[in-house]
Amino acid sequence: MEEGANGTVTPLASMFPADEAQKAAGRVQDAIAEKRRELDRVRGFAADNAALVNLVQKLPEELHHDVMVPFGKAAFFPGRLIHTNEFTVLLGEGYYAERTSKQTVEILRRRGKALETHVDSLKSIIEDLKTEASFFDKTASEAAEGLVEIREELSGEESDEGSSELGQKEDGPSISVEDKGKILNEDEEYDRLMSKLDELEKEELAAEAADNIEEETNEVDPDVVSDQSSFHQNLKDLEGSHSCMPPSHSERQASNEEFLRQTRQQPALVEKLNPGDFTIASSQKDKTSHGNDLLWNLKGPDIADKSPKLPALEENDHAGSSNNEVPIQPPKPKVDSLRAFTGSIIEHSPNLPINPREPSATSSKVPGSQSSKPLSRFRMQRK
Amino acid sequence: MDNYRLDKVHKFEEFVDQRLKPDLVRAVSERDKVFEQQKTFSDLRKNIENLQKNSVTSLRTLVNLGSEAYMQAEVPDMQRIFVDVGLGFHVEFTWSEALNYISLREEKLARQIEEYTHHIASIKAQIKMVYVTRKYAYAFASLLNRLNMLVHHF
Repeated sequence: MEEGANGTVTPLASMFPADEAQKAAGRVQDAIAEKRRELDRVRGFAADNAALVNLVQKLPEELHHDVMVPFGKAAFFPGRLIHTNEFTVLLGEGYYAERTSKQTVEILRRRGKALETHVDSLKSIIEDLKTEASFFDKTASEAAEGLVEIREELSGEESDEGSSELGQKEDGPSISVEDKGKILNEDEEYDRLMSKLDELEKEELAAEAADNIEEETNEVDPDVVSDQSSFHQNLKDLEGSHSCMPPSHSERQASNEEFLRQTRQQPALVEKLNPGDFTIASSQKDKTSHGNDLLWNLKGPDIADKSPKLPALEENDHAGSSNNEVPIQPPKPKVDSLRAFTGSIIEHSPNLPINPREPSATSSKVPGSQSSKPLSRFRMQRK
Repeated sequence: MDNYRLDKVHKFEEFVDQRLKPDLVRAVSERDKVFEQQKTFSDLRKNIENLQKNSVTSLRTLVNLGSEAYMQAEVPDMQRIFVDVGLGFHVEFTWSEALNYISLREEKLARQIEEYTHHIASIKAQIKMVYVTRKYAYAFASLLNRLNMLVHHF
């Protein structure tokens, strides 16, 4: 353990005061007791249900049963049970059903299953509460002992004392904090990206049938990268074939493609994806930025309000520059969106030179383009 | 010394509240139970009177087998009725005997309710007394405080 110059020593007691932790533990214990009581109640119901199933099965064996028929809560009449195979069962909400013995048994079995799931859920809740209580107990005892948490700035090593969730021991100074952070960020973003992809995939499948606007994508300006048209073709087929994409970036391109397919219909989600999308793009070469352009172009026809971005991307394309330009988003378009585009775009790395150009380009385009296809804006922009 | 007295008053009041308030709650719940019993018997009486009036001899009902599963039941002869007389016993009555018994029972229940009401009223009075005393004690204690301060000044 290294003693760093910049470190903080905080007694655990200050973070989790001992008596408060104990009070919290007490509260959790109460909650546990309550859940246990409910569990017992539900178990009682389940037992009653089982007994009733037995009874319902046995009653039809006789034509009549002599019983004491209750009359209110405090009186009985001697009488007999008749029609011993007919049962009137409550289905809930004041609805009853007349059923035979067998059918009633089925109903009761289903009720029993529901009760069992309830019991299981209660049990899991109790387990969670128990772990919570044990955590509180442990914290209370630790705090009482005067355990101390030591945090040090990373000078190659990070060490801790006390709570296990704070910090880990690092191997040597080879990995600086920033690098680690960067790598973590990229991985995190990639993971986030993939999970968003999955979400969008599902949504896209749902929205697939309704959309037939892909034909417009064929009118993309030929000046744009040749990949685009074939790419559009692919998208038209709603296939994720990667044949047209440069093989070297197949993996990431595929994800972009999926983006395109999936996010075509989801303009609102696009902005969420963009930062991640561009983050990945930023780590790749220019061709990937083309892919992003494709992404934008494809979305163009479908999403009128997105079109202002296309020229921006075209500019990026022209610049053929670093991928940092790609993430530049035009400022909020004033177009009336056909979709629920909130206009909030998360920009990853602002690239100042391009920004001032965009608003003017956007605003000049916007008034004239509301009725025309977004792709023609491309041409306008090109010329 | 006045602080000490204040503390005492405070403690006394807390102690009383911890005892009196739960007592009150318990007494009220007991009285509610008796109320329910009274209602049960009065319902029974009304029903029997109804049956008598309409000269009903037989009856068809749905009997709860537990968990809201009902079965038809028939009472062919309604001359005998078994009424709960407490301690798990049910006595066989004819209608008029049953009505007689029920009215006696209702009287007894009414007397019990009266007792509970008295008890509840006394607990409430005690609580009120504690609050009033505390108010006066505080006022008194603060007055004494002020007097003390004045005295110490001179």
